[in-house]
Amino acid sequence: MSEQRINRMKDLPSTHLLGTGTPMCSGCGGLEALHQIYDVLGEKTVFVNAAGCMTLLSVYPFTPFRGSWLYTAMASAPAGAQGVRDALDILLQQGRLRPEEDLDVVVLTGDGSANGMGLSATSAAMDRNLDFLYICYDNEGYGNTGQQSSSATPHAAITSTSGGSCGYPGYKKDLFSIWAAHGPAYVATVIGSEPLDLARKIEKARDLQGSRMIIALAPCPTGWGYDPKDSVEIGRLAVKTGIWPLKEYIDGQVVHTRIPHERAHVEDYLRLQGRFAHLFTPQADPAIVADIQARVDSYWDKVV
Amino acid sequence: MFRIRIHGRGGQGIKMASRVLGTALFQAGYTVQDAPKYGAERRGAPIFSSVRAARETINERGTIYRPDLVVVADDTLLAVPAAGTLLGIDGHTVVLVNSHEPADTWCHRLNITARLLILPACTEVEDRADLPHIGATCAGAAARLLGVIARAGLLEAIAGELADLGPDIVAENQASALAAFDAMADWQGAVTEGIAVAADNYVVPDWIELPFDDARMAAPDIRACANSVEVRTGLWRTMRPIIDYDLCKRCWWVCSTFCPDSAIAVAEDIPVIDYDHCKGCMVCVGVCPPHAIEGVPEYLAQQQDKLQPAPGDANATETADR
Repeated sequence: MSEQRINRMKDLPSTHLLGTGTPMCSGCGGLEALHQIYDVLGEKTVFVNAAGCMTLLSVYPFTPFRGSWLYTAMASAPAGAQGVRDALDILLQQGRLRPEEDLDVVVLTGDGSANGMGLSATSAAMDRNLDFLYICYDNEGYGNTGQQSSSATPHAAITSTSGGSCGYPGYKKDLFSIWAAHGPAYVATVIGSEPLDLARKIEKARDLQGSRMIIALAPCPTGWGYDPKDSVEIGRLAVKTGIWPLKEYIDGQVVHTRIPHERAHVEDYLRLQGRFAHLFTPQADPAIVADIQARVDSYWDKVV
Repeated sequence: MFRIRIHGRGGQGIKMASRVLGTALFQAGYTVQDAPKYGAERRGAPIFSSVRAARETINERGTIYRPDLVVVADDTLLAVPAAGTLLGIDGHTVVLVNSHEPADTWCHRLNITARLLILPACTEVEDRADLPHIGATCAGAAARLLGVIARAGLLEAIAGELADLGPDIVAENQASALAAFDAMADWQGAVTEGIAVAADNYVVPDWIELPFDDARMAAPDIRACANSVEVRTGLWRTMRPIIDYDLCKRCWWVCSTFCPDSAIAVAEDIPVIDYDHCKGCMVCVGVCPPHAIEGVPEYLAQQQDKLQPAPGDANATETADR
């Protein structure tokens, strides 16, 4: 399957498959990840998109994709993928599609669908070992409708449904572990600001069979409250502070692909974002910041 | 009936401006409609919102085609036909523009007969798009032009609209709105109510019977490949990234990989920015290792284009002129 192995930065593509002219916000971290992912997956893909920001990628009569795209309700993208996979398999079986014309089915959903109402359909798809690739662009809230909190929202973030001096009271759901507990072929976390790590994982996922699950943290200028130019910087800090661990699950093992040995303080990441501004102004709230730092530290203590 | 259209870019506070005007007019005893245009457009994209206010019941709906007042919060939109800022204006219309250029220049440039006024700036800024509290400033100036909103009504409407953002933000917006309200004192009541459109003037169109298409035709299927390139998202841009090819190290992947919009392609080792689609997020400016990309305000870059179109900037010039 694989035409080339991506080993260094220079192996990354310099021209891009995903069309320009999409209505995603300026500086969208999700689109940044998606265009890198699409370059590795290639044109022989069918996208099945649950309701979310990226529904707007294909607004009739325009599409940025070079192949087919199907829109499903918020909870049912993996079910839609099952239907497309079955249809492709039947066409292959009947000889109406040559093996080289086969397509890879790719589910694209936001964190709202992935962590919330779409989780049941995803779980069932992995139970059936559906041969598909799932990409969750995680902007930590229902971004398309004005950043209401989702169960991927991090602790203390202000969203349009969690205000006040403390922000979101819950903690970000560990979707990676939930997915990995199903024992699928592959689970990985990626981020657009680490393109080499992303490309290697997508290449690996592309060449595997079965359920391949990807979570891309998607810095969101609109929902997180920062200048669009800082999307890459915020993504890098998410990795450097250890808030967004880059890891993969394969053959029953979790492997961290980038271990930040000298972790930056979480404050470096939080301070840049409007959704955490209440932790620093008008008065600093050291208790909440310390709690966030402690949780990150405790995570990495178990890893290294 | 007052018919007001407020144009701007997503994120400038255009919806807020129409809400403030609508609320203030309602409190002054008017029947009011105010609605932002909803669509799949995002921060930086041309957007507008509408306010209708009348002493009687309002039967009109939808887009305002005969505005009494048009507010343009970003003057780069005047050159963008897709933004529709000048739709339906005539000698009766007052056009209020946020610009650092004088009204005469704009009247001449646009060749319009409408009365064009410049939004007063409460702070001196280099780029008018950086003016703080643009939404509140527009609302304050517009309130004075209508002449039927009192200072107290304006302040109360802002306080109500922005209450969730806390007292400091309310106070700052009120101060900007008041400054604009006071600066427009000479134009108190310059906007007058347009004539009512009566239903008995309505001409019934010639109906054309359209047969039902079969599902294969009628379903909203897109049978094209990456045709989103037809959408010129370059119109969203307020800052333009410009590559200095003397500094560019031909690393070839950094700006191109990080550009969220796939708007930088590298051909023969040279990165080229597609200005028809670059939304101006400035991510490339931040990631370029030798700092070879500079961000320039779009209006300055367009002025520069007109003087001397740079090779490779042909598309940008075209966009600016269109």
